[in-house]
Amino acid sequence: MITSKISNTIPNRSTENRVAILNSSEKRSDQWSKLLISVGESRDRRAFSQLFEHFGPLLKGFAHASRNEGWFPGLGDDLVQEVMIKVWNKAAGYNAEKASATTWIYTVARNCRIDMLRRKSNTQHLPLENEDFWHEPDEDTPITLLQQKRSEDKVQASLSQLPKEQDQILRKVYLEGKSHAEASAELGLPLGTVKSRVRLALQKMQVIVSKEAQE
Amino acid sequence: MINTTNHHPDENMLIEFSAGTLETAASICVSAHLHFCSRCRTKLLRLDQVGSQIMSQSEPMEVADNAFDQVMEKIDSADLVSSSKTSSATSASTSINTSDEGFPYSVKKLINTSLISKNWKRLSSSVDVARFKTGQEDFEVALHKICAGGKTPKHGHEGLEYTVVLKGSFSDENAVYREGDFLMRQPGDVHQPMGAQNGECICLSALSAPIVPTSPLGFLMKPWLRINPM
Repeated sequence: MITSKISNTIPNRSTENRVAILNSSEKRSDQWSKLLISVGESRDRRAFSQLFEHFGPLLKGFAHASRNEGWFPGLGDDLVQEVMIKVWNKAAGYNAEKASATTWIYTVARNCRIDMLRRKSNTQHLPLENEDFWHEPDEDTPITLLQQKRSEDKVQASLSQLPKEQDQILRKVYLEGKSHAEASAELGLPLGTVKSRVRLALQKMQVIVSKEAQE
Repeated sequence: MINTTNHHPDENMLIEFSAGTLETAASICVSAHLHFCSRCRTKLLRLDQVGSQIMSQSEPMEVADNAFDQVMEKIDSADLVSSSKTSSATSASTSINTSDEGFPYSVKKLINTSLISKNWKRLSSSVDVARFKTGQEDFEVALHKICAGGKTPKHGHEGLEYTVVLKGSFSDENAVYREGDFLMRQPGDVHQPMGAQNGECICLSALSAPIVPTSPLGFLMKPWLRINPM
């Protein structure tokens, strides 16, 4: 339902749309990153409550969009709480040269969601939490906040211009948390089609370059 | 870190990793590869941006009025406790020394917490293995050490096998694999890795079990690497 709403807006108002999206997100991504820095540097509760107000409802929506094993009705509230506590505790280590606040909080939320579902659904003894997979060394080529913002704006604008089926597959993968194999079973498409559709969508958004250029 | 890796996970694996839907065995190895590979880190950041924008544009849901206060309460009570807590990332005593080898964080954590035995176990004249407890039957994670110039027995795999070179290099019929290189082998692939002449090679490997792990003969038939549920 969400997908059709968005794809319906694509056809003729695309330029106008894009400008509107760029303008609104320009303010936004800067604002959130600055608030997050302020939480990290000075334990700024006011800044934190603004982040909470914005990201809380998004995180709850993100939890509810999950269609994974282990899902339970209280997941939304639990996820909001767990993610926001992590945000508070880890804010001092936030590096605006590596990712914007929105991307950073997404990675925390994604890892939390997986770990919470995993705790519910099995008893794996592996001591790794999902966030352990994301300890990366500091980049030698830092990206400025401005570059981050531009690149995110582009992602956001191009996302709203994807054909319906590409938009749908990305939402399945990122929002519902479906593996390629699960998406293939659900949509009744061969795995190879799912894989190439996901890649096509991301190529179209210029997030990845075409395959020939890579191999 | 300078990027010297030539063998990378394919794009769909990175995408699934970014979305958090990649199976554990593969995730462990992708994460280890990312430690060495700035090219894939850059790609991953872009993919994470996609995830973050999709999350930002999703349908927000109303949060309870007192949710913020509850979070602050938890934060305040935790602050009192955590001031006495110190990092426990110190290395356990083990003959598998990784302290200064620049291993990825996730591998160090596995070594410090989950080795089945604290010593290398001889697998053949030139290969040692150290297995991790995973508590699961559907994948196995281990370190392999090939001595300088060592030849491994020719072997095949029943499941998907992922390998990342952590130290040194090795080669097979197709190529030379160096630090950070990521390899995926399909079930049925047969190969014979050889350690480089100039020093030992340590690899992380994760094996996904075949699709039917309940077959009683499965355990008998797995050559070289065998599923070792704890």
